[in-house]
Amino acid sequence: MIVCVAVVGHQNNPLYIQSFTKGDDSLLRISILNVEGCSYHSLKRHHIVHCSLDVVDERVNNPKKSGLIINETFLGLLNPTENYKVYGYLTNTKVKFILVTTDLEVRDVDARVFFGRFHTAYVDAVSNPFHIPGKKITSRKFAERVSTIVKSFGLSSGG
Amino acid sequence: MEPDASIETSSMIRVAVIPISDVTPLLFREYAAMLLRHHTVSLNSISSFYTEHQKSPFAHQPWESGSLRFKFILGGSPPSPWEDFQSNRKILAVIGICHCPSAPDLRSVVDQFTAACKTYSSSLVQRCFAFCPGDSQLEDGSVKGSNLILFPPADRQTQEFHMQTMVQDIAASLLMEFEKWVLQAESGGTVFKTPLDSQASLSSEEVIKAKKRRLGRAQKTIGDYCLLAGSPVDANAHYSTSLELTRLTADFFWYAGAMEGSVCALLMDRMGQKDPVLEDEVKYRYNSVILHYRKSFIQDNAQRVSPLSFELEATLKLARFLCRRELANDVVELLTATADGATSLIDASDKLVVYVEIARLFGELGYHRKAAFFSRQVAQLYLQQDKKFAAISAMQVLAMTTKAYRVQSRASIGPSNDAGQTHADGGKVHHHSIVSLFESQWSTLQMVVLREILLSAVRAGDPLAAWSAAARLLRSYYPLITPAGQNGLFNALVNSAEKLPLGTRCSDPALPFVRLHSFPLHSSQMDIVKRNPAREDWWAGAAPSGPFIYTPFSKGEPNNSNKQELTWVVGEPVQVLVELANPCGFEVMVESIYLSVHSGNLDAFPVSVSLPPNSSKVITLSGIPTKEGLVLVPGCIVHCFGVITEHFFKEVDSLLIGATQGLVLSDPFRSCGAAKLKHAHLPSITVVPPLPLLVSHIAGGDGSVMLYEGEIRDVWISLANAGTVPVEQAHISLSGKNQDSVVTVASETLRSALPLKPGAEVTIRVTLKAWQLSKTDSDAAASKGMPGSSVRQAKDGSSPLLLIHYAGPLTTPGEPETVSAPPPGRRLVIPLNICVLQGLSFVKARLLSMEIPARIGEACSMQAQLERGNTEQVNSSERQADRLVKIDPNRGSWGLRLLELELYNPTDVVFEAGVSLDMENTNNQENLSDNISAEYGEPKTRIDRDYTARVLIPLENFKLPVLDGSFLGNSSQNNGTSGSRNNSFSEKNIKAELNASIKNLISKIKVRWQSGRNSSGELDIKDAIQAALQASVMDVLLPDPLTFGFRLAKTSSDDINVDSDVTSCESGDSIIAHEMTAMEVLVRNNTKEAIRINLSIACKDVAGENCMEGDKATVLWEGVLRGISMEVPPLEEVKHAFSLYFLIPGEYTMLAAAMIYDANEVLRARARSDALDEPIFCRGPPYHVRVSGTR
Repeated sequence: MIVCVAVVGHQNNPLYIQSFTKGDDSLLRISILNVEGCSYHSLKRHHIVHCSLDVVDERVNNPKKSGLIINETFLGLLNPTENYKVYGYLTNTKVKFILVTTDLEVRDVDARVFFGRFHTAYVDAVSNPFHIPGKKITSRKFAERVSTIVKSFGLSSGG
Repeated sequence: MEPDASIETSSMIRVAVIPISDVTPLLFREYAAMLLRHHTVSLNSISSFYTEHQKSPFAHQPWESGSLRFKFILGGSPPSPWEDFQSNRKILAVIGICHCPSAPDLRSVVDQFTAACKTYSSSLVQRCFAFCPGDSQLEDGSVKGSNLILFPPADRQTQEFHMQTMVQDIAASLLMEFEKWVLQAESGGTVFKTPLDSQASLSSEEVIKAKKRRLGRAQKTIGDYCLLAGSPVDANAHYSTSLELTRLTADFFWYAGAMEGSVCALLMDRMGQKDPVLEDEVKYRYNSVILHYRKSFIQDNAQRVSPLSFELEATLKLARFLCRRELANDVVELLTATADGATSLIDASDKLVVYVEIARLFGELGYHRKAAFFSRQVAQLYLQQDKKFAAISAMQVLAMTTKAYRVQSRASIGPSNDAGQTHADGGKVHHHSIVSLFESQWSTLQMVVLREILLSAVRAGDPLAAWSAAARLLRSYYPLITPAGQNGLFNALVNSAEKLPLGTRCSDPALPFVRLHSFPLHSSQMDIVKRNPAREDWWAGAAPSGPFIYTPFSKGEPNNSNKQELTWVVGEPVQVLVELANPCGFEVMVESIYLSVHSGNLDAFPVSVSLPPNSSKVITLSGIPTKEGLVLVPGCIVHCFGVITEHFFKEVDSLLIGATQGLVLSDPFRSCGAAKLKHAHLPSITVVPPLPLLVSHIAGGDGSVMLYEGEIRDVWISLANAGTVPVEQAHISLSGKNQDSVVTVASETLRSALPLKPGAEVTIRVTLKAWQLSKTDSDAAASKGMPGSSVRQAKDGSSPLLLIHYAGPLTTPGEPETVSAPPPGRRLVIPLNICVLQGLSFVKARLLSMEIPARIGEACSMQAQLERGNTEQVNSSERQADRLVKIDPNRGSWGLRLLELELYNPTDVVFEAGVSLDMENTNNQENLSDNISAEYGEPKTRIDRDYTARVLIPLENFKLPVLDGSFLGNSSQNNGTSGSRNNSFSEKNIKAELNASIKNLISKIKVRWQSGRNSSGELDIKDAIQAALQASVMDVLLPDPLTFGFRLAKTSSDDINVDSDVTSCESGDSIIAHEMTAMEVLVRNNTKEAIRINLSIACKDVAGENCMEGDKATVLWEGVLRGISMEVPPLEEVKHAFSLYFLIPGEYTMLAAAMIYDANEVLRARARSDALDEPIFCRGPPYHVRVSGTR
């Protein structure tokens, strides 16, 4: 099950982070700050996405050593963290897509298909003339589309 | 579990370093530092201290290349329960450190040391180092033989050498002890136990098993000692045996331990070389180590003790060994496994160590975010401990994570990082701070980290750190924090500040946001102008000459537009406008804010300001430059929330740029409703040495001068030098609109007052003449009412400006002339605020002609004048006599033209208008001026408010005295030579000439007015007069060629008559019927050529009938009256006498007429006759004759 997807900009700035878990997302308000919507779990997912950027960065900076084939956007499994597996995808404009899943067995094909769709959705979203590049994506349509893609994750190849 | 564990740890001899007696921590650290340098002692160097007592068990000791390694544990440590398992965990030596001056009694030192050593039962060698002993202590023989070693006071080098010798001695002693121990262990029956199997020794079966295992364990331990003794080959031999034995006895735990030891021996043997084969070997063996540690897990005592920590430690050791970028994948895998395993660790401190190590290793790999993540875990573990020291540790660990999360305190960034970078935002090159703005979007994580720092700082009792964290939190994330949370942070700030000493500085700014608003331009009183020494007008072409900074005409240098330069003067206060914003929900009290000057040549004045919630304010910060040079004003020093912070403009600028790009949560200024401001650049500011400073003051108030249209008034402007340098050069010029309204400026007065010393004052006079309001202005004035329009006038900037360029001496006194550029000059702009009110308004002008016949008489004045015989004089005198409309009845006025001006007074004051004529063509200038001044005394026309009045101007006086060719000269010549071919051309010429004359004429007519006591002026009606005169200007200007006059002749008989009739002379007209009246007709030639004429005289009665001829002639005559041919010389008069005899008393009119023969062009042109042969007829004005009846 996908628990989180994220889009990270070329300056490693988060453009979009969405969690897909229900129930356990108990809203744990940070006592003295009263930060809106900052739950323990989403915080954890932020951390996972944030940490995974280390690996992406490394692959971006020395693509040869890490064996990244040129023009290969799919970065594969970035790192298994605790109970999660993190997959990455890097566009030519250095925008990163991060997928966090709890599935123990994820086929590369599924991940590739997912990222392909996700990329298309992202391109459509930023093609909006009113979108400012570098700014967080707030489009509701994009969110809907992403959740559809997330739901269909793994189904296409009969997983 | 221990921090810093690595594969080589197994070969390190643990030495406890403990303070003995009173040693201050600082001294202890200093002495220890000296000791710590000797962590590796080569075997070679200790051979001199070493004596072989028996055959050494370390057969393969590498005396040439090997070494002993120490691990100094400052302060010592409690014995580990795993000492038997890993001998390197034992404290094998104790070194005490004593500072003699604070411990006079050496005996007690020895006692204390001995007592302290008792806690380290495993220690084999003990030494106490006593530093700086006194002479008496050195001589004290009582401590001889104990292990107290005195370090005599000496220089550092000697002491270090001494120390090295002592450490080598200890190393040798240890080596000998190890040999002893190994020999003993090989023979003796020592039982090795670990916490894992201590309780399992109950059953006999277990005892037997343990005995079996003893041998393997002993071999492993001997191997350990071999390692410590620096003999890897021996160690390896023992470990190999141990591996065999432990495998047979299924003693997995010890098997793993022996394996670990063997890897260490392998690495030691290879002396630090690393090759892939070795790496693979190490990896392989360590994987086996980890596997066997895992195997040794016993469910029974899992609650109490578990080999898990050894497993994790081994994993970390391997990870540390592999820790290189190329092997990042392997290391990350190992570390992830460790992190997973750490969750099931029982001991909290073990967990802490694991996380610390994981964080360190990630950091080493370059995975800063992961490192930060685990550091945070460490900090959380510390925070769980609920101790002050733990909180301090947590705070310090969190401080390390701030870099990865981009929330670091400015203090930790360091000053050199950002200061040098320029704002060259050329395309893709992003400024460091912009990149950090991108990263700052991880607000969720950043806020959590900052909050934890705040919490830990509060708990650790570090108010400054707490303040800094709260400030960062509030400044960066206020839009995400609810008002309640903001208040919480506010309280945190205030509470922390209370615990801080007054005047504490913090590198992280809190609120408010401060941005540069603008640099107010020099007030026009203080403009600085670059001096061009090469030119007389040194101000020209230098700085802007107008009121604009940018003139489109100046040479276009695009870079210059955004890099303005400012010049400040030493000793003259300067101002900078900054805008403060408080976007939070509480009031911010800024106790003081002032410019932060890094160059140190400006005294800044603090200001205190209070910002209500969600508000912004523009405030003025001022200062006085103290020294010449460049001024750097990068920001403001703000004293707020009890702490002093520096707020940099650049940071807010990049924040605002980020806001426009959508990178930052919100623009603090915008959210406070501040106006959008164009990015203000920090100009380069130069301070120049003192300059003179002129201060102007307009006498009678600096407000605007209210003047009616055309009013003339003097304004007195006093100029004072308020600077400290004398004014040596000064030049006054005019600028702005309506410059011609300044009639005169007494620049001479100013020039003569130079040099103007500091404090000196000079007053100059400026004569102003109010200009005419334009049509639209007056219309607007009419619709709006006067006061409104006047205010608008003043604001329009239609007033002229008085520019005074002035400068001090070219070189500063006392300074050699080394600088090429002279000190700049200055410009003082004095706006002459003239407020023009609508005054008398001109309605229309009309030309009236008036014909009053003259009377024939003998005016006494006329007589007198005639006697003089000087015609020129006569003419001018005549004019003076009848300057105004007062018409001399004896002369009459024929063809007199009057200009009637209709004036309207729309104001609410009374005007008095008078007409004056400026005559310039008189020969006596003084006389004229006298006369004009006399003219002011003439009655004036009073024009009340809202009334229309008329003023008459007689134009008779403008007649030229002579009709000659000069006026019509061109035309006559042209006519004569080239005929009508050039007629159009000549006409043009005539027109031009005429216009010139008309202008001349018009300029002579002045309508002066006066209102009240002190306002007087002139009406500008030139255009109107010109329009009125245009048609008949010829008649007005030019005299007739001939003028005729009649008068009573003074015959001798008449003289007698007059004498007899004294009374008649007074009346002036003593013509009596039935008497022969002698008369004269005067014909004057006004041209410059003689004229031949045919003169005839007629007399008409009241009815207009000719009364000299015909049947009913009522007048008899004597002499010639008809066809009198005469020649009149140029500019002279000719008399023709005749006598009349009136039969009937009454009114008669005398008329003279003349036919001009051979008229020249001038005359013809005057008569407007074209035909050459047509005679020109000239008629004189009628003269009245009043004939009274007989007496």
